[in-house]
Amino acid sequence: MTATVERPTRPPTARRRWLLVGLAGVAVIWSLSGLDITLERLLGAPADAWNIVRRMFPPAFDEASDRGVFGKVFESVHIAWIGTVIGAVVSLPLAFLAADNVSPGWVRLPVRQLFNAIRAVPELILAVILIPVTGLGPWAGALAIGIHSVGTLGKWACESIESIDYGPVEAVESCGGRWVGRMRWGVLPQVMPVITSYWLFRFEINVRASAVLGMIGAGGVGAELVSQLIFRNFPAVGAVLAVTIAMVLTIDTVSGAVRRRIIGGASSTRRSTEAAFALLGIRG
Amino acid sequence: MAALVAAYSLYAARQVGFAPSTFWEVWTNPLWEKFWPIPWDWVFDRHNVIDPLIETFQIAIVSTLIGCSLALPISFAMSSLTTPNRVTHVVSRSVMNVVRAVPDLFWAKLLVTAIGIGAFAGSWALSVFSLGVMVKLFSETIDGADPRPLEAARAAGGRHGPAVRTGVLPTVLPAYVAYALYVFELNIRASVVLGLVGAGGVGRVVEAQRQYFRFDRVLGILLIIFAIVLIIEQVSVVIRRRLV
Repeated sequence: MTATVERPTRPPTARRRWLLVGLAGVAVIWSLSGLDITLERLLGAPADAWNIVRRMFPPAFDEASDRGVFGKVFESVHIAWIGTVIGAVVSLPLAFLAADNVSPGWVRLPVRQLFNAIRAVPELILAVILIPVTGLGPWAGALAIGIHSVGTLGKWACESIESIDYGPVEAVESCGGRWVGRMRWGVLPQVMPVITSYWLFRFEINVRASAVLGMIGAGGVGAELVSQLIFRNFPAVGAVLAVTIAMVLTIDTVSGAVRRRIIGGASSTRRSTEAAFALLGIRG
Repeated sequence: MAALVAAYSLYAARQVGFAPSTFWEVWTNPLWEKFWPIPWDWVFDRHNVIDPLIETFQIAIVSTLIGCSLALPISFAMSSLTTPNRVTHVVSRSVMNVVRAVPDLFWAKLLVTAIGIGAFAGSWALSVFSLGVMVKLFSETIDGADPRPLEAARAAGGRHGPAVRTGVLPTVLPAYVAYALYVFELNIRASVVLGLVGAGGVGRVVEAQRQYFRFDRVLGILLIIFAIVLIIEQVSVVIRRRLV
């Protein structure tokens, strides 16, 4: 066997690099002028923002809890969880149909296109479509998140199925196992840890998404933020924000710890899995 | 463990009003008819959709620039390899964790209240969001960078700034550009929905037509957005593949 050496690619020339920088510069100037952003507006904004932040202290936790903000935060978590469950249940079988090592081409392509199409529609847009039909409320949010999660979860699960070790599948086949048996006993045990951690990761993303969905009336803490901002009741806004941040950070920490435990076992290092997940995309 | 998860799922399902029959009811709802036919003339009219769509792009471009520029120094402060001192390290890390814990549209709504409705607030909101994503990705890349050039620069007597610039920056710059493109892609998606909370762009039109119950127009706009997001994603994947 002869080893082939790949021809090294020519590094980009200085002229090409400056051309790219120039293009980006033109795009930025075009955008700045289109949005009517001048330097003084740009520099004045942090002061205005700081003014609002200052008025949020001290946060009015008593008032917020009277208005049921804590319940709303938990509602956001419930929405995110149900959305994740819907996404997980629907995407798992679809992922098998989309993986190129276990599924024939005529099935694979339409399923993959379905994943791509779903991923291109943000949860909020889905919720805008769903709210007139389902009515305002947490169910619209859960459904929107569920549908959107099918796209990303399906893609990630499909990619992990494609990278399996094919030995166990052949073993099941040689014992006479049919397609379902091969998938159940040959593939699923290999990919389940990774896929479970993807589900948890998606749950972390969905918690943020469900908080946002409340802003357009799909249940959860977002509605509370909007109404307190309309009343310009900044101490209450501060309380809503603080509770939301605490909730998100708690769930991130717990879920992240569980994920690392699932993937790396008790002795797992923190950084490598975090970086891998980060590369997959913060928002999918 | 599995029982606990199942029990919580059931409880949460009750809380959000899940019932299997709703799946069926959703599909037979007569309101679906209001989504059709799509008035393409209205959708392709310049003032209705195209101009706000251009504004959306401009928001994404500006906020990618602001967010990614701010992210460069902050990422170096956040990485344990290149941080100037322990205090900067801890402070920048915890501030950025809080920044990332606030969902993007919360930022948008807060900034709309603080500096007024419109694309300007939207640009700032997305800048903050890009900053959060970028420092996370990039500081982890710096963590994994080869420490030897940095040690060499320090051994040769380089001060902190020049040592980092010559020892670490060249090795992580390609990743920085790739992440910036990725963040731009995220920003295009996010800028589409900013308008729903009054922060400019095409979402503003969606929100207005939604309130008039013109779902046919809404669907038309959404289909255009869908097509654009798909195209941008394909282009960005191709560019990133060539870069890394």
